[in-house]
Amino acid sequence: MFVYQKKLEYPVRIANPNPALAKFIVSQYGGPDGELGASLRYLSQRYSMPYAEVKGLLTDIGTEELSHLEIVGTVIHQLTRKMTTDDVISAGLETYFVDHTAGVYPQFASGYPWSAATLQVTGDPIADLNEDLAAEQKARVTYDNILRMSDDPDVNNVIRFLREREVVHYQRFGEALQLATERQNQKNIYAVNPGFDR
Amino acid sequence: MINTPERNDTDCTYKQGTLPQCAPLSAVFIPYQQQDAPKYANTEALTRGTLFPGLDLPFMNVANKNNPYAGTHLGDLMALDFVMKELNLYLDTHKDDAEAFALLQSVIELSRQAHAKYVKLHGPLMLKDLAGCDSYTWLHDPWPWEFSVCEVAD
Repeated sequence: MFVYQKKLEYPVRIANPNPALAKFIVSQYGGPDGELGASLRYLSQRYSMPYAEVKGLLTDIGTEELSHLEIVGTVIHQLTRKMTTDDVISAGLETYFVDHTAGVYPQFASGYPWSAATLQVTGDPIADLNEDLAAEQKARVTYDNILRMSDDPDVNNVIRFLREREVVHYQRFGEALQLATERQNQKNIYAVNPGFDR
Repeated sequence: MINTPERNDTDCTYKQGTLPQCAPLSAVFIPYQQQDAPKYANTEALTRGTLFPGLDLPFMNVANKNNPYAGTHLGDLMALDFVMKELNLYLDTHKDDAEAFALLQSVIELSRQAHAKYVKLHGPLMLKDLAGCDSYTWLHDPWPWEFSVCEVAD
């Protein structure tokens, strides 16, 4: 079960609202490589994972991703606080505003709604962990691109924290893949799916 | 320096890991982080996004120098809880590292104390914290996502 703590994992304090930044940072809330997909990917892959260390890691990283979802939601909320319709128009945020006003909605930067089609649960430990490694790299690149486009120090402070977490998670998933590989038939690690063939 | 299987562990720096002597073909390998890696102090770890300098690989080599709550009660608690999380993930894949486990236990105790101190001064962080409160203060502002001008400071 999950229990709420009334604090963020990392502090967010954005002095200057800026809806133009929210327009693309929203992709890390509900975009193709965003935090919502990350948490659901790992928390859903746990059930078919046969190895204790990796069950633990998927649970623990999946839980951290929920904290990151909350951090990105906080960034969007603070960037759009107290905005007027003039601010909306000058930021080019009309297509978001017309549907969501100043609410925080999980969508790609392009406006496409969050989709479970952006993630996979294969039920095979090796395939799932390879997906997880790719997912961390894709999220890292998205944060790189946000840093290229944002010049707000308060926003970038948070984005740098989130980006570094992708690097650490990549290392841990790599170690988990190594653990999984070591436990399988060393002559042919693809001989069976240990998540199904018991 | 490339990390090859022939290389002895002790030849590797803290920015490098260990690989097996032999490995199956057609399988991805990422080296294990070595035990006893250098660590940042708690607040610096939170600010930089990792406890481990060896894993600290910032974009364009620009890293955070501070975070907005550093030095506050909440900032201290966040830093301890972050180090706890980082050791949690490390131990998931290094469960026999007794030194890291002892460190986790000491950080858990410090976090418990910092949590109690924060709750006493600023109100509940979890529903359970209401056990020691006079009224239902769970609903008091600010919520974590809200921008607050008055800092949650000491």
